[in-house]
Amino acid sequence: MASAELTVVSPPGTTRAAGDGPPPRRPRRSGGARRRWSGLVWVAPALLAMGAFVYYPLLLNFRYSVQKTNIFTGQQRFVGLDNYIRLAGDPIFWRALTNNVWYAVLSIVFQVFFALVLAALIEDMRSPRMRAVLRSVYFLPSAISLTVTGLLFTFIYQPSGGLLNGLLDGAGLDAAQQSWLGNPHTAIFGIIAMSQWQGFGYSTLLFAVAIQRIPRELYESATLDGAGPARRLFSLTVPMVREMTGVVMIVTISGAFQVFNEVMVMTAGGPNNSSQVLGTWLYEAGFIRNDFGYAAAIATVIFTVTTVLAVLQIVHTSRRRVA
Amino acid sequence: MNTRLKVFAGLGALTVVLAGCGSGGNAGQAQDAAPSGDLAKVDYTGDVSVITKYAGENSAFFQKMATDYEAAHPGVHVKLQQESDQGYKDKIKTLVASQSLPDVYFSWAGNYAEQFYDNGVALDLSSQIGAGTPWASTMAPSAVQAFTKEGKTYGVPISLDAKYMVYNKKLFSDAGVQVPTDLAGLLSDCDALKAKGTTAMAFGNKDGWPAIHYITQLNSYEVPADTLDKDYSPATATFDDPGYEKSLTDFKQILDRCTKSGSGANGVDYYSERDSFGQSKAAMFYVENLEFATMVPKGSKAESDGWGLFRLPAPTGAAGDTGSLTGAPDGFLVNPKAKNPALAVDFLKFVTNADNAKVITETIGYPSPVQGGLTEQNSSLQLRDSIDDLNKASRLSIWLDTVTAPEVAQAYLSGVEGLVSGDTSPTDVISSVKAASKQAQ
Repeated sequence: MASAELTVVSPPGTTRAAGDGPPPRRPRRSGGARRRWSGLVWVAPALLAMGAFVYYPLLLNFRYSVQKTNIFTGQQRFVGLDNYIRLAGDPIFWRALTNNVWYAVLSIVFQVFFALVLAALIEDMRSPRMRAVLRSVYFLPSAISLTVTGLLFTFIYQPSGGLLNGLLDGAGLDAAQQSWLGNPHTAIFGIIAMSQWQGFGYSTLLFAVAIQRIPRELYESATLDGAGPARRLFSLTVPMVREMTGVVMIVTISGAFQVFNEVMVMTAGGPNNSSQVLGTWLYEAGFIRNDFGYAAAIATVIFTVTTVLAVLQIVHTSRRRVA
Repeated sequence: MNTRLKVFAGLGALTVVLAGCGSGGNAGQAQDAAPSGDLAKVDYTGDVSVITKYAGENSAFFQKMATDYEAAHPGVHVKLQQESDQGYKDKIKTLVASQSLPDVYFSWAGNYAEQFYDNGVALDLSSQIGAGTPWASTMAPSAVQAFTKEGKTYGVPISLDAKYMVYNKKLFSDAGVQVPTDLAGLLSDCDALKAKGTTAMAFGNKDGWPAIHYITQLNSYEVPADTLDKDYSPATATFDDPGYEKSLTDFKQILDRCTKSGSGANGVDYYSERDSFGQSKAAMFYVENLEFATMVPKGSKAESDGWGLFRLPAPTGAAGDTGSLTGAPDGFLVNPKAKNPALAVDFLKFVTNADNAKVITETIGYPSPVQGGLTEQNSSLQLRDSIDDLNKASRLSIWLDTVTAPEVAQAYLSGVEGLVSGDTSPTDVISSVKAASKQAQ
């Protein structure tokens, strides 16, 4: 608590005539500097760790992407942009990038649009208990490890004895039965579908939290004005959760370009490279073909894409932030 | 985890591997892996580090070996790491790049092992297990040969693995079919079995390599051996022989006429198909002999039906070596930078002595390359038959995914997956293999 004496201290400059020489050092500045230095001491370990384990490897990766490396002998040779030129002419790289784009587009549809609609429906329910139960039910898949989910869906997609083909058979849709992960035309979509099942509930939960922050009076007013559920969704809920929508969208897209686990578990990029994504193609280049310079170039592409999206996220959030 | 942190973490993993490569120069190991001192004079003190790919159900053998070796030599500590098959493939690259290879490490035969030897990270063991040495004389010659290059032996075989078609005797008998002697006979057997309502052959290719094992054998039948040797080495490869496309066509016929999974096989798990043979739900399965015990466990239906084995039949008039057999030993290499290389070699001698040759079969069912390792007490009749047959093979054809350069192996793996699903033709596959081989040069 400030004492009465502190309130009568004259502001700096008002008690000092011009030409009195340099201003005396203020005790407060000295204290501030000490605090700043002590603050730096506290954050220094974290900064050092980030520098050593995040930023330094990042810089090294750029260097490696312009080198050809023999991991057995340790020899590294500068090759300029050769790895990037090869990347540009590699059809599997473009297929992987296309698959990542598919991942992003479908994730936006399911994990942003449908998740928002579902969250609005849940939060519109009268029973608080039912709302809590449904939020938990939809969130539950997100709590399961991706590897476990991948294995689970591998069984679901089994061509013979798999749950999906069994359901199609039961519904009389025999012709639609597939070797879902064995068919180059359906493999990546089978993986994306699994990913949506897994991530859908998490986005729904985030939207539900955002919707809970909207004053209920606005909904009551809209209802009194004759707005139906659809009108309330698009004219009230959607604008009011715009900030959360932006964040979820950017996070979803960034995640879509870093996908790895589920593809490795379910198809390892096959069959015939049809389900490769940038992460798995990087892995194959580095850890199977020993082409680490090329793998580093792919890593640079992933980093560039996700950094651009991260910057968009920061800009978007700062513009939309409510004071 | 935060999005950016995920990216950084991924880049970090890659960088950890590369950071070990040193900085822009010649920080690597010497190319010449000459013997380090006298390997016969063993100092039984200190540590010997060992890494295997036998984690899980196959870990018991090396655990016992480590314990027994320490008991026999109280001054020695065996630092044993056991990884899964895939985990090993990832880890060994990191260990090599960071120059942290254990003293003794696993390797498949073929190009996979040669890349270690060629780059000076595998010790020349010719003085110990080369041709004419007492240690080599205890082993099947083909097993030692698989780890020999240009007269120098650099690996110690640990198990003897070969691929056989196993068949259910009752299902064959019910369908009135005989063990085929050529590819046409196999296909007609499949037709007869299918007509009887039996799944002729179980096949799952989710991992890609099961189909590659067929192609390994069929290439060996359809392409002359000299041509194969030339083409599997990227420096001299052309892949111009018409036999390569023929072998792919042969495989497609087997796939279409014998298997139930057919064009959907890429989505089918190999191991569940293997189990279906043990449950007598399929009449045939193409399998490695070291899987026999797992495939037909005691009390299984296939065991009561009776089962036997034969080699994948060769096409009539094939231009290659029809006496060849797909298979290769798994083995271990020694790091030239081991602190006590003689101790590392001695550990491998211990693991492959006559007594432990029996123990590997008793504990994990693997046939040892050491002669006399299989007995009536520790192995099935089928396993002993397979080893007898293996010893008659004119040549061991090493797995296609380890005998050649990784780029070529990957082109084969993905190309054959496309062939299975019906999206690529044999000509397309060979075109991509040629392109990969050119790149590997």
